[in-house]
Amino acid sequence: MTALRTEGLQKSFGGLRAVQGVDLTVETGQLLGLFGPNGAGKTTLFNLIAGEMRPDRGGIFLDGEDITRLPGWRRVRLGIGRTFQVTRPFRDLTVMENVLAGVPRSDATRPHDEASAYSLLERVGLAERAGDPASQLTLGMLKRLEVVRVLAIEPKLLLLDEPLAGLSVRESAELLEFVVTLKAATAIIIVDHNVRQCLPVCDTAMVMDGGEVIAHGLPEEVRTNPRVVRAYLGEEAA
Amino acid sequence: MAVARLNSYALAATIIVGALAAALPLIGASRYQLVLVYYFAYYLALGQAWNLMSGMTGYVSFAHGALAGIGAYATVMAMNAGLPLWLSIVIGAAAAGLSSLVIGATSLRLRGIAFTFATLFFQALTLLIVRKLPETGGAAGLPLQEILPIWLPQLFMIVLAALSTILMMAVRASRTGTRLLAIKGDEAAALSLGIASARLKLLFFCISAVLAGLAGAFHGLFTASLYPDVVFSFDTSITALAVPLIGGVATAFGPAAGALLFVGVGELLQIIAPGLHHVVIGALLVAVVLFMPSGLVPSTVGRLRDGRKGERSPAASREFAR
Repeated sequence: MTALRTEGLQKSFGGLRAVQGVDLTVETGQLLGLFGPNGAGKTTLFNLIAGEMRPDRGGIFLDGEDITRLPGWRRVRLGIGRTFQVTRPFRDLTVMENVLAGVPRSDATRPHDEASAYSLLERVGLAERAGDPASQLTLGMLKRLEVVRVLAIEPKLLLLDEPLAGLSVRESAELLEFVVTLKAATAIIIVDHNVRQCLPVCDTAMVMDGGEVIAHGLPEEVRTNPRVVRAYLGEEAA
Repeated sequence: MAVARLNSYALAATIIVGALAAALPLIGASRYQLVLVYYFAYYLALGQAWNLMSGMTGYVSFAHGALAGIGAYATVMAMNAGLPLWLSIVIGAAAAGLSSLVIGATSLRLRGIAFTFATLFFQALTLLIVRKLPETGGAAGLPLQEILPIWLPQLFMIVLAALSTILMMAVRASRTGTRLLAIKGDEAAALSLGIASARLKLLFFCISAVLAGLAGAFHGLFTASLYPDVVFSFDTSITALAVPLIGGVATAFGPAAGALLFVGVGELLQIIAPGLHHVVIGALLVAVVLFMPSGLVPSTVGRLRDGRKGERSPAASREFAR
């Protein structure tokens, strides 16, 4: 089932065309890797999908519903969850409070919510830190917390913006292993510069350069695409 | 229910202290003692009103003095028009609540210092308007025509201080409180989780304004005469924010310590250095910000609990704050 579809998405900042005619489709159960060099337009595309900015042209559809003009908070309610390049925890709240902050339920269901949040924290190895303030966590823990915090709102589409940035190889592998387990219930788009570790776990991959999609397909096809090699390694390598 | 999650000891202590304070006239407390208790309750109610909005969301308001003043003027004007006491108080609270909606609808989109300046502007504008209007008595002020027995506004203020403290406890223990603190921590991240920050901020600004309006209304009944330059002076706004800042922002009991210190320091200075009140309170604020940034109560409890010098651990502070 198609979770997200974009059609001819365009966004410019003055003379800079940050996103040019991007068409993409992600289905529930699918992990799409979105790659590209700095300034390729990946984060702008994320911001357009999350509703943090409006496209100049094109459409965004979630479960077939046109959400192009909806504000960000409405999209969250419809099931779009995102993380940020630089982690943004609520530092003065506990780890548990961070997870519960966005859960859209009344206090009446609180015990159930807390149990669910605790089991999510257990899955990423943060259950023992549930009562600690988020300010006491390491970067690796904060990255995991941010993913769990978004999962608590039960998104249909999960947008992960550079979740591996700053993590060690081992931490990255553990986080990716966890992300892969989430595919059953959600569609996932992951943006990261760590192509080597990310690409093998993706179902499909898309590479952007200068705001354009230069390759889209199976990970192996994308990896060997001459335009992709050129974008990353220069003309000579291609 | 959030109330069910309240710390029952803290709740009982608040009710007992409130009841004891209310019973002071019956056990022969002196007039001086009653006035001190009254001012403690007044500062506490104002501080909790500010704490509920600015302490929880991080949107620093300098308008709480004006909101209390609006409550005072509306109540006294209603009383002078012959309306019953209860209705006059309701009108005072409603006037402050409506004013907050006007400020909030126009200013809560602003962030950080811009919002603070908007509230400062509101405070100054209100003073100008009240000084010009003949209905408010202009610069000459407005006396309350029917003088009430002094114990009545005292009792009202003590009940308000206790209820606002209990409300703060309930909010802090609720999911809504967590969301407010999330807005304070990182509003963009809160929005990304679907937290309706605009609605929450406006709602809590309005609740906070109603509390400030009630405090102002009772203070108007207590003083029985309103002078715009006094009622709308920045002193009241500064008191409203200094009390929780000194005692502990976004905690239920920090403002109680702040109010106690405010009254105590004020009285002490009356004797040893009259006129230096603001200087000392300012110095106290600077000292707290520098050495106990989370406030007196969380810092002190942290030191006692952790058994070590320095700022208490945030985890322990949080536990106490509930």
